[in-house]
Amino acid sequence: MAESSTGMPSAPPAATGSAAERWSGRAMAAGVRVGGLLIAILIVIVVFTILSKPNTFLTVTNFLGVTRSMSTIAIVALGLTLVIVVGEIDLSFGYMYGLASIVIGVSWIVWGWPIYLAIPLAFVAAVTLGAINAFLVTVLKIPSFIVTLGTGQLVFGTTLLISNTATLNPAYPPPGKVVPEAEVAWFFGLSNQDLPLGVPMQAIWMVVVAVVIGFILSRSLFGFRLKAIGGNPMAAELARLPIVKYKFAAFIICSLLASLAAMLDFAFIGSVQPNAGVGLLFPVFAAVIIGGASLSGGRGTAIGTLSGALLIAIIANGLALLSAGSYLSNFVSGAVTIAAVVLDRFTQSLRK
Amino acid sequence: MSDMGPAKATPPRVGPHRSSGTTDRGLRIRGLRKWYGDTRALDGLDLGAEPGEILGIAGPNGAGKSTLIKILAGESRADSGEIELDGRPWDTTADRDRVAVVHQEPQLFPNLTVAENVMVGREGTRALVRGLDVDERRLMSNLAIDGYADRRVESVPLAIQQRVEIGRALARDAQVFLFDEPNSALTQEESTDLFRQMHQLADAGRVVLLVSHRIAELAAHTDRVALVVDGVCTAVLEGDARSQEGIAAGLVTGQAAREPEEQVVVSVGEEAETALRLAGWTHGGGEFEGIELHVRTGEIVAIVGVEGSGARELVRSIAGFERGSGQIEIGGNAGGSVIAAGTSLVSADRQTSLFTNLSIADNMVSRLSREITTRGGALRRGRMVAIARALRERFQVKAASVHLPIRSLSGGNQQKVAIAAAIVRRPEVLVLEEPTRGVDVGSKREIYGLMRQYARDGHALIIYCTEVPEVFEAADLVYVVSDGRLSDPLIVMNYPDVETLARAVTRLERHSDAPAAALAPA
Repeated sequence: MAESSTGMPSAPPAATGSAAERWSGRAMAAGVRVGGLLIAILIVIVVFTILSKPNTFLTVTNFLGVTRSMSTIAIVALGLTLVIVVGEIDLSFGYMYGLASIVIGVSWIVWGWPIYLAIPLAFVAAVTLGAINAFLVTVLKIPSFIVTLGTGQLVFGTTLLISNTATLNPAYPPPGKVVPEAEVAWFFGLSNQDLPLGVPMQAIWMVVVAVVIGFILSRSLFGFRLKAIGGNPMAAELARLPIVKYKFAAFIICSLLASLAAMLDFAFIGSVQPNAGVGLLFPVFAAVIIGGASLSGGRGTAIGTLSGALLIAIIANGLALLSAGSYLSNFVSGAVTIAAVVLDRFTQSLRK
Repeated sequence: MSDMGPAKATPPRVGPHRSSGTTDRGLRIRGLRKWYGDTRALDGLDLGAEPGEILGIAGPNGAGKSTLIKILAGESRADSGEIELDGRPWDTTADRDRVAVVHQEPQLFPNLTVAENVMVGREGTRALVRGLDVDERRLMSNLAIDGYADRRVESVPLAIQQRVEIGRALARDAQVFLFDEPNSALTQEESTDLFRQMHQLADAGRVVLLVSHRIAELAAHTDRVALVVDGVCTAVLEGDARSQEGIAAGLVTGQAAREPEEQVVVSVGEEAETALRLAGWTHGGGEFEGIELHVRTGEIVAIVGVEGSGARELVRSIAGFERGSGQIEIGGNAGGSVIAAGTSLVSADRQTSLFTNLSIADNMVSRLSREITTRGGALRRGRMVAIARALRERFQVKAASVHLPIRSLSGGNQQKVAIAAAIVRRPEVLVLEEPTRGVDVGSKREIYGLMRQYARDGHALIIYCTEVPEVFEAADLVYVVSDGRLSDPLIVMNYPDVETLARAVTRLERHSDAPAAALAPA
């Protein structure tokens, strides 16, 4: 039956709702959520400003450094947000990050492929992993936690196998191979550009990704339905929403963004090692959860996830400036993550 | 376990509990009130039950029965009113063990054994898991579940699970046993056993409450029947009044007489277009077989049948949510995609028909796609809100703003939103399961009106009903499913009142092969 040919209820006069009516409900709740998070970020900034040596923490240069260091977490976390919103979980993105770096490195440096083919190959690998994850979750109905726990290890094994556990650097290709300098310059240029005010290129990438994911989540039919499916899968099935298709899309986008982050970091750092990305699991999940996405699905925003990544990055940066050492860093990150969720529960109960 | 209640449950007042005369024994409920948002569920309900009797509780859906059960089970708290047990005020939430609710779906630990379920919560504080004690062994053998002691609950039949529920309550020395539609999924033989156990409990001096839709069973197995309508107990039937006829009459008292203009004259086999045609329609899981059904545009067709008859599966299969094979034709089209294109389903349970994380407006447009997006796939928020506001007017949804969370609405208004969300795509055939379950009386009438309006606009509705009054109010035709076969249709208009229709339906539920002609009213 053609949907367009059937009559819609006639729209009432445009101005039946007051402004107050428009600014209510979820919009308000989301505002309070992000507002609380921004306050937390400000508090952390004040604390570090007081504790750190003068002119080390609260400077433009340091802030720009933070935006670069948060970009990896943010780009991966924005992809994960889609998976979380649709009510699933992905534990394989960190290993996907590693695989993408190594696929680019091996095909470009070891096999001698042009970089312009090496990068698409990494994205093909990402689409493949996302599709495998989604297939196992939607068609074989295996919980995504188990699926991605398993595929993550499969991917990690693949990464170690094809890299032969070696670190790769285009400046030091294997004997007999040459990496064209023009390609190296182009590739490094993806993350290194002289931008006004010294803005890092990766921060620009992050903003672009955030705008796209933000549009998807709050302004597109795709995002609207992701929230519906994540909020009540049973009702989504009875309403005939395209659950399988959308879960495929969410898992594939998540893997693709992990690969994008991997490519940008490789281009920034200039070399890659097989265990890259293994440490992403905690900060990325923390960013998504601090950002207010619900692990039970149906809730999550791009601005929230971005703020979560910012908070995590500021804490890491501040602790590094204080030379706090990694033990304390882990301790504080863990505590802040839990505190953010407790705060969220608290503000939710206040709103009721 | 001591017979006296634990000290903490004794309120600091002297008085009635000292004089434990025989008149004070039993369960006394006075002035029980409960509101859900702006929906009144109980409106000052009074009820009394004596130890040793089986008190039946009957009433239409949405009358407050399930609220009463929840309060007695300690799952919910009354806004006001008193409950006394054996002359003492009884706090159901604090002193839960004294009441046992036996559900149609037993609420046990499916992964534990039968024995573990019987003693769960009373294992003691020793580090080692203890075995069954003498009393537990005896009560399990009385219930004939001792043979299943080491089986996991999920692996034993439903009837045994219910006995485990009874056993667990007996082990906790419960005084009040509340059976909530306990035998709707049991065989005849299992039901007989269950009723025998109910009588045993009553004979042992316990209070037994039986909530049931089945008038015949209420008449056969209870001592008295309380009728609950619109949140109050309207009558308690005793003696001769406690007959099937008496109960049926009591239930329909107060239900408005049919208004003639509400009825669509059904002219069988004439010019109306075919909305749905099933031929040789057979369930993938064997619940029904060889169904022939013909539904015309403008008709509301009810399909009824007891649990396990295949009625629910048949209704769901029409919307494509149970596997059906055979021929299906919707609006003159046949083929693989007709179900998805031509039907919408609203499930009975609002947990599965609404998105609780979304607003009212978002729920209303949740099934739309092209109507609410630009070509680029961006949402047209203004259009969504306009559609939602229009639906709010048309469906008389009482909401201050369409941006409020769906959870802020009463059950009746939530149901209107669920139906609106399904109707907005204008399916040829709208399939509704129990369209007014848990809905207050006022909203019920409005929902029936909306259903009728949709039928008049040139569509067909198929509703799955568990309540004959709903069939009487809403439907033009009713088919009864029994053992996976469809009866001949009853034309609802030909029945002067609910009672007569209920009798005809009940007879068809029992005897699938009886000729429909014999059931026509005199």
